[in-house]
Amino acid sequence: MCPGRVSGTVVGVIEIQDLTKRYGRTVALDALSCAVRPGRVTGFLGPNGAGKSTTMRVLLGLDAPDAGVALVNGVRYASLRRPMCEVGALLDATAVQGARSALNHLRWLARTNRIGARRTIAVLEQVGLAGVARKRIHTFSLGMKQRLGIAAALLGDPPVVIFDEPVNGLDPDGVRWIRELMRSLAAEGRTVLLSSHLMTEMALTADRLIIIGRGRLIADTSVRELADRFPQGVLVRSPRVAELSGALRSAGAAVAEESGALSVRGLDVAAIGDLAAARGIPLHEVTPRSASLEDAYLQLTADTVEYGAAR
Amino acid sequence: MIDTIAAEWLKLRSVRSTYILAGVVVACAGAALLLAWYAARIWDGSTPEQRTHFALSDVAELVGWVAQLCMALLGVLAVTGEYGSGMIRTTLAVVPRRATVLAAKASVVGTAAFLVGVAIPLLTYALSRLVIGDRPIRGSSTPAPDEIRLLLAAGLLIAVFALIGLGLGVILRSTAGAIVTVVALWYLLPIVALNLPSPWNDRLTSVMLINLARELAGGHYETAAPQGLLSPAGALVTMLVYAALPLGAATLLIRRRDA
Repeated sequence: MCPGRVSGTVVGVIEIQDLTKRYGRTVALDALSCAVRPGRVTGFLGPNGAGKSTTMRVLLGLDAPDAGVALVNGVRYASLRRPMCEVGALLDATAVQGARSALNHLRWLARTNRIGARRTIAVLEQVGLAGVARKRIHTFSLGMKQRLGIAAALLGDPPVVIFDEPVNGLDPDGVRWIRELMRSLAAEGRTVLLSSHLMTEMALTADRLIIIGRGRLIADTSVRELADRFPQGVLVRSPRVAELSGALRSAGAAVAEESGALSVRGLDVAAIGDLAAARGIPLHEVTPRSASLEDAYLQLTADTVEYGAAR
Repeated sequence: MIDTIAAEWLKLRSVRSTYILAGVVVACAGAALLLAWYAARIWDGSTPEQRTHFALSDVAELVGWVAQLCMALLGVLAVTGEYGSGMIRTTLAVVPRRATVLAAKASVVGTAAFLVGVAIPLLTYALSRLVIGDRPIRGSSTPAPDEIRLLLAAGLLIAVFALIGLGLGVILRSTAGAIVTVVALWYLLPIVALNLPSPWNDRLTSVMLINLARELAGGHYETAAPQGLLSPAGALVTMLVYAALPLGAATLLIRRRDA
């Protein structure tokens, strides 16, 4: 589909160095540096207005940075002769002309980069739109447009893929489909950059997290590292709170009282259950606090919003 | 470049507005033929005295006049449709050489407008000859070589209109704004020029877009004194300047602006 590309030589690394971008007085990117590597899903996180979309537009040569560079495989995107074979991107699934059929939309895209017409059918099948290929795009739901945008990004079979908020407006099936697609693209050795403002979604999809706020890098970390930095707690309810609290403390846990329940750190659900059983203390609820990754993210980004910088 | 042109051709063919605009020109050709047929009937029922006062305007040229506006809109929509939907970002991402994108759009839109702008008026002319037959109606008995030369010049002007529409679409990035500007150039400005004090009325009227086809074909138009006319070469240069100015500005802007 992309003859002339020497497979194996493409590593698919995105490098962003000291990227600065201003729109009037607004500083969208403030000396942002980070790198995205192949073989895993990298989540690009930040609150609305953090600079995620701006970074992606600069990366694709659409907006010119005021300082710094964004490189794909060591070169600027704008210098690529057939960019679809190097980088596939979905910025805004609704930014398509509704009067055109899905197939015709992919056809003109394929033509610009000398990609064979057969490939358009293949990607439509891959995203599950083969049955509506000749339907006009304005009849599509948001989820179908997201699928079409992903099909367009995959046309050139690129080693690097970039998706801006691809799960926005999708139903649970669609969200799961995108999650599995991203993971399989990464498993094939591709570089996958996926932006979102939802930490919970990223926790399920990404291996690596780049968190930005106000155009600056806040954290470049793995999902596990981030979770470890903010230890998880367990919520426990019991009719004999005082007795249980003492027992947990003597077992080495940190216990805090929260409106009649206990917030326990340092012991996992099994240890708490065993301990309560051994003492004959009934438990009414034992809930691991799985939202702590989101808490960690909110805490990190809240800091930058308040103080402007900080890593 | 060839690939980008092919892609732009696919884009132009796959939206309904293209067919609607071409359809308006065809419908106008139908109306013009109806007019010719009606004129022929009146002619047949007229006395020789009445016939001396009877004239019919060049119906093929009338179709070309409507085609000027329709093909200018074709040029406008070829790019404002993308700005309006946001698809321009996809276009500029898959072809990062922006001047190439604009050149491809200009070739496709310009060629399509020229073909529509020559073929439909020419067909109108041929059919109107059949309708009118050998009736010597004033205004519709231009010799065929002269008429064909005029219609080719008019086709070139129609292509220039399309390129102006395209350039304005890129500059203004707004369908409404570009259409208003096109209509001003097509209709309002010639009226303003006509009402200026002499000699400015003749001078400006001679460089109004709608008069350039007749001047290029070496003919005349009714509203100006013969001494105010441009030479065919002058008319050609004026046409090229009309196309080059908006396209040049559009090239600078599309390369410099954030998409």
